[in-house]
Amino acid sequence: MPIDARTAGSTVLAGLARPAVRGLLKRRVLSFFLDWAIWGYVAFAVMYFLNHYWYTWIPGHWYDTLTLPAWGWPVTVLATLELAIVCRNSGWSLGMRAFGLRLVPMHGDRITLPRRVARVVLWHASVPLAFMGFWFSPEHPWHDRFAGVALRPTRRLRGAGAGLDDLPDDEGRPEKRVLLTQWGWMSLFLLVLTFWLGWLITEANLSALASRASKAGDLFRQIARPDFRYFLHEDPIFVLRRGTYSILDLMVLTLYMTLLSTVLGTAVAFPLSFLGARNIMGFNAVGLLIYTLVRGFFNVFRAIETLLWATVFAVWVGWGSPFAGILALTIHTVAALGKLFSEQVEGIDAGPVEAARASGASFLQVIRYAVIPQVMPAFWAFTLYRWDINVRMSTVIALVGAGGVGTLLFYYKNEGQWSIVGAVVIAIIAVVWIMDYLSGWLRERIIR
Amino acid sequence: MSGKPVDAMGALRRTADGATRTLAQAHRELSPFFVDALAVGLAWILVTYAVSWFAFGSEKAVYFLVPWWIVLVGSIETAVLWESFGVSLGHTLFRVRLLGASRRKPTTARSLVRVLTWHVSVFPLVGLVLRPSLHERLSGLSLQPFVAEPGAPKRWYRRSTGIYVAFLLVVIGAGAVGVTITVDNLVRLFTDAWRVAPIWKALVSPNLAILRESLSDLVVTIFMAIMATLFAAILAVPLSFFAARNLTRGVAGRLAYTILRGVMSIFRSIEPIVWAIVFLVWVTSEHASFAGLLALWVHSIADLTKLYAERLESIDEGLLEAITATGAGRLQVLRYGVVPQIVNPYISFTLYRFDINVRMATVVGLVGAGGIGQRLIAYLSGQRYPNAGTVMLLIVLAVWAIDYLSSRLRSKLN
Repeated sequence: MPIDARTAGSTVLAGLARPAVRGLLKRRVLSFFLDWAIWGYVAFAVMYFLNHYWYTWIPGHWYDTLTLPAWGWPVTVLATLELAIVCRNSGWSLGMRAFGLRLVPMHGDRITLPRRVARVVLWHASVPLAFMGFWFSPEHPWHDRFAGVALRPTRRLRGAGAGLDDLPDDEGRPEKRVLLTQWGWMSLFLLVLTFWLGWLITEANLSALASRASKAGDLFRQIARPDFRYFLHEDPIFVLRRGTYSILDLMVLTLYMTLLSTVLGTAVAFPLSFLGARNIMGFNAVGLLIYTLVRGFFNVFRAIETLLWATVFAVWVGWGSPFAGILALTIHTVAALGKLFSEQVEGIDAGPVEAARASGASFLQVIRYAVIPQVMPAFWAFTLYRWDINVRMSTVIALVGAGGVGTLLFYYKNEGQWSIVGAVVIAIIAVVWIMDYLSGWLRERIIR
Repeated sequence: MSGKPVDAMGALRRTADGATRTLAQAHRELSPFFVDALAVGLAWILVTYAVSWFAFGSEKAVYFLVPWWIVLVGSIETAVLWESFGVSLGHTLFRVRLLGASRRKPTTARSLVRVLTWHVSVFPLVGLVLRPSLHERLSGLSLQPFVAEPGAPKRWYRRSTGIYVAFLLVVIGAGAVGVTITVDNLVRLFTDAWRVAPIWKALVSPNLAILRESLSDLVVTIFMAIMATLFAAILAVPLSFFAARNLTRGVAGRLAYTILRGVMSIFRSIEPIVWAIVFLVWVTSEHASFAGLLALWVHSIADLTKLYAERLESIDEGLLEAITATGAGRLQVLRYGVVPQIVNPYISFTLYRFDINVRMATVVGLVGAGGIGQRLIAYLSGQRYPNAGTVMLLIVLAVWAIDYLSSRLRSKLN
């Protein structure tokens, strides 16, 4: 059935182009779910407050558990759903604001209360019954049409053509103060709620902070008086994998770890990045498959933090071995750099590539003479930036047993020798600063 | 009493300008020198270490054969000689050359004079206060910007072949070093893969029994990140106005700028995990997640202040002038000139920082600062790898989702 026939009944959206309809529908659905999720969040907060403040009144073991009785779940789900619907009909809801939608009247200049009530009621016939209201006019479903209102985009839809301008607009109406709109006070309410909830959840306690300030002062004094006793000389007591180390030993080791992992990571990421660039691979099915696989690999491996990789490899190749750190840093470097690199490759000027291809260059020749010269400065900059990150990261991955100078940090921390911890921290800060400065300076020079 | 009014501010400004130029000169003079001295010193230490490694064995390898001050003085002297009698590493890096008047090549006599006067001039730092500096005046040689001769071949590091060869050498060198460090572990990579099998297995079949408590820990972690970001943003927004170079005029402003930037730079270079250790001792592990929150908060303030201030430094000054010209007061200029330019970038930076904070919140948990990280480290140290794998899966999913959402939102804002 052609679209014109479907929308014939609608005077408002007659000329709407097909992609715009899809965009509008997507926004409608997403904004609805956002409103629902907001009330879900409020329900969670209420539950938490009940647990926190009134747990003694409530029978059972509700305290500090995020549980509901069996009947509680459907009740909560339905109640939040109803609240969301009421909110969406009684003003400009936060979800509608976030996705750029607004409820406008089709007749007259304001939506009357009976129409709003009618829309709430009609919604229950239109949506829960297999989305029946959307079947014949997805852009103007039953509950909108019979209540005499329309959801109008406040911003131009992507790919939208003519038709949207026919909508009745409310430009003439005076702009309300933000806090008088529903989304305005709802945002404020959610912000306050988040602060309150967060304060309880994170167990923030200012009196603990204040009452133990003198203890913290002692700690800071000891750290600020660093003890460089073991900077050059090995600590005979601290034994890691049958060897004794000074701070400098492990610092040098850490720098080697970062150097090695950055170099190896770059060496792997560099060729992979061309395979993960759509403008190079996306010409046939095989290329697209490789592109998808490589990009998927980048995304999945990037989401696993260096520290998580370090935990895995520390278990794998031995606790406290720098090799675990090297592997962890390398894998994360490959994924992170690969993504940055391939985005860079995707952003190149297509002219030289086409020229090279037209002159009969092979795949490798195209990359060598048309792509690499364009991306090289950015590649160097990213590599240096990554080295910088790796230096920072390498000092803390010792926490999970991946070797490096952090091993000493956590060892002396556990021993309570805070002045030596101070020395290690100062050594780390010095190295991080130097690397930061060096890489920043080099990046500037390369880009120039 | 003289009739002339005392121009205190003018005098102060002139002094400050003079000091700035002196500092610039010292920077120009000393930066190549530090690079050279550092390079010589490092080379010396590396050679000593390698020689003593082979001579006495790895147990007795040392960094210094002679007292450290001899190495220090030796590197300084070598660096000065290197700088005065040729093109040093520092010169190459900073793209300067030691040249006489009208870019003449230095003669041996002049170079010798430079070496001798350098000691008088630089060590007591007296000569550097003068402009041009003492040794520059006496030897007639100064550091001038390097200008490539027309038609001269490109330096090796500016040609792709040179870069590739250097890269290859670094790869080989780093590989060699890496293998010597960890040859015994390399074997375990292949023989001990079964150790992590439970973790991989848990990623596809998580232990559902711990799901609920892990999720509530994940909520704690996310709220740690939210609270740290919100509190940091509240503090960093006003601070950033005092940390922006173009908005801090006058002596007091400059002072505030310098102090703020310095403190923030120090705070930023201390990892959140170290802050977490400190705060755990401070508020005790009874309030573990509060300690994590504080650690993230301190680091976020420093980071956000820097990001915000850099954005402020690049605002369009023309707009401010136009609004000032209409007779607007300071606050009105701020409201109608500055705020519209910075709102979106500020929100974008805050989202970015929230993204980082979620990652960091899992990490600070590993030292015991609450949230899901604490659970992970407990499982790992108890060698309950299936549980650890389940927790890791949750972390990865949460980080992924928030990363995706934040990058979507940010791309909408830009």
